[in-house]
Amino acid sequence: MSVDDQPGLYVESTIIMTTVRVVAPFVLTFALFIMFHGADSPGGGFQGGVIAGSVVMMLAFAYGIESTRQWLDVRVVVALAAGGVLTFASIGLGTIVLGGQFLQYTEYEVFLSHASKYGIELVELGIGGIVASVAIGLFFLLAAGFGHVVDEEGEA
Amino acid sequence: MIEHLPVLLVVLPIVGGTVPLVASLFTDRAGWLVATVTVLVHAALAGLLGWTVWTEGSVSYAVGGFAAPYGIELVVDGLSASVVVLISAVALGVLAYARHAGPHSNAFYSQFLLLVTGLTGMTVTGDVFNLYVFLEITGLAAYGLVASGREASSAVAALKYLIIGTVGASLYLLGVGYALAATGTLNMADLADKLATATGGYDSTLVLTAFGLMVGGLTVKVALFPLHTWQPDAYANAPDSVSAFISALVSTVSAYALARLLFSVFTVDFLEAVPGARWALLALASVSIVAGSALAVSQTNVQRMLAYSSVSQFGLVIAGFTIATPIAVVGATVHLLGHAVMKGGLFAASGIIERETGATTIGGYAGMAARTPVAAGAFAVLALAMVGVPPAVGFLGKWYIVVGAVEAGLWPVVAVLLASTLLTLAYFARLVERLYFAEPTIREDAAVADGGEGTDGSRSSSGYRPDGGASVSTGMIAVVVLAAVLAVALTAAVPALEQLLEQTLPPLLNQ
Repeated sequence: MSVDDQPGLYVESTIIMTTVRVVAPFVLTFALFIMFHGADSPGGGFQGGVIAGSVVMMLAFAYGIESTRQWLDVRVVVALAAGGVLTFASIGLGTIVLGGQFLQYTEYEVFLSHASKYGIELVELGIGGIVASVAIGLFFLLAAGFGHVVDEEGEA
Repeated sequence: MIEHLPVLLVVLPIVGGTVPLVASLFTDRAGWLVATVTVLVHAALAGLLGWTVWTEGSVSYAVGGFAAPYGIELVVDGLSASVVVLISAVALGVLAYARHAGPHSNAFYSQFLLLVTGLTGMTVTGDVFNLYVFLEITGLAAYGLVASGREASSAVAALKYLIIGTVGASLYLLGVGYALAATGTLNMADLADKLATATGGYDSTLVLTAFGLMVGGLTVKVALFPLHTWQPDAYANAPDSVSAFISALVSTVSAYALARLLFSVFTVDFLEAVPGARWALLALASVSIVAGSALAVSQTNVQRMLAYSSVSQFGLVIAGFTIATPIAVVGATVHLLGHAVMKGGLFAASGIIERETGATTIGGYAGMAARTPVAAGAFAVLALAMVGVPPAVGFLGKWYIVVGAVEAGLWPVVAVLLASTLLTLAYFARLVERLYFAEPTIREDAAVADGGEGTDGSRSSSGYRPDGGASVSTGMIAVVVLAAVLAVALTAAVPALEQLLEQTLPPLLNQ
């Protein structure tokens, strides 16, 4: 029995909605905290991305999957995925343009002190975007059930 | 620019892979064009890299400017350069085939480029953990591609592939962990030095466990006999374009990675110091050759037969690499590259024959040569090349492997290798005989019923099916004919390949 056979699955609950409204900003902040810690301590884009993706899942449980799907434009998900890859690649290729090896962050030191650290953190943010968008995309695909045309996200 | 080629070859397709994703917001048919442009540039870079290796020898690249044992190193020698060129060439061929045969969605082409990324990465890397990362990228993209078929059976095949493939990759990762525990390094060249001097040497339990797990994990991906069960389902249930692509490349690059492990990480010295490991791998390869052929003979579905044939042919390739005399390694490389062209071509040809006549089984192929003369001709040439009929590349590869086995005095292996040619003949000759000399079992109008499509019962050989496009384009035919021509013409390139391998591999084959 798939979700769309039984629209009554979603139950509006004030308790859940209020809790999610309070908790969501903190979870998103925690996700960014984890992502920014990829450079010098345990953490990073993969873990932070999953936490960021879980925010959307919480919203979906609180406000219904369909309304969350409509609220969250598919363009945002695609931009996160593609933007993440392009961020990573352009940081890597930028160092080649400056005369270094691929991802040789020290090449950026001329423009910015501690460029290595910022470079790694930007890459972690990119990875976080990819992971979050894939987690969100997979969640919506699974929620849509089997039989829908699944062309928007695929397996990344 | 030249020195950045190895890393650009990996970055280019992954950047290209994001473009169809973004483009799908505006149009749902941009994927093919983006993929073709990307792979064309990839092919140009691969050719340039091949030329550089040919003229200047091996190329290495320190990613991020971190020096070799600590940072990730990319290394391209003669063996990896030829595999990179093969990846580009096959990807171009498959794109020419897929333009008409589909799938057409943007998501498909994103995954296609992701698979090219993974395969290229596995080929150019010089780091065992980095190899694992690219092995997973390759695997994930391949599972997604297998699942892109319309039938439910594709999804089941992809799930089976996913579970078994993940177990294989995990075994490999576990082996990498043991190797790291034994030596403290992940760089291939550094591992080769440190494994030799590790506590207890090559015989130590830790090193042997690492070897067993890493090789065992990769044999799952190569699909040697007892670990092949994912492969026939995946090949037979995926769309034709995907079957041609993954049958030509995924196992091939895994077998390349296994060879890289044997020669660059554990080295020939290890194989000599631990005869047990060598015999175990040779035994596995020999069992795979015989069992794969026997299973191929017993199939009725042509694509499943081709899949089991791969099990057998990869046994041959791994046997050649494990014999590890220079001539056997050249032979195994030739057969590795030749098999990719031949098997990809055979899957593409079987796709065309199915579209034109509706025949999918060996019985159905009877008399079909008259209906699809070009595809059937190409199929016959490729099948005979795979058997090893002299002017074709399949002959040279097998011949070199046999000569290597004779030189090494491995007589049981020689017997299996010779028997394998007869067994290959058994299943391919039967099919070619049916194609040309048997009475058709599928008539023009019956073909519609056999194909399970069409409602008016008048689909001719050039018929058009509005739902899936059963018609065949010039591009599809051209790819299959080109594969058949290459299966013969590549023989001329073997001396050059031999020279290239001798120039760049002597440190690995110090015999």
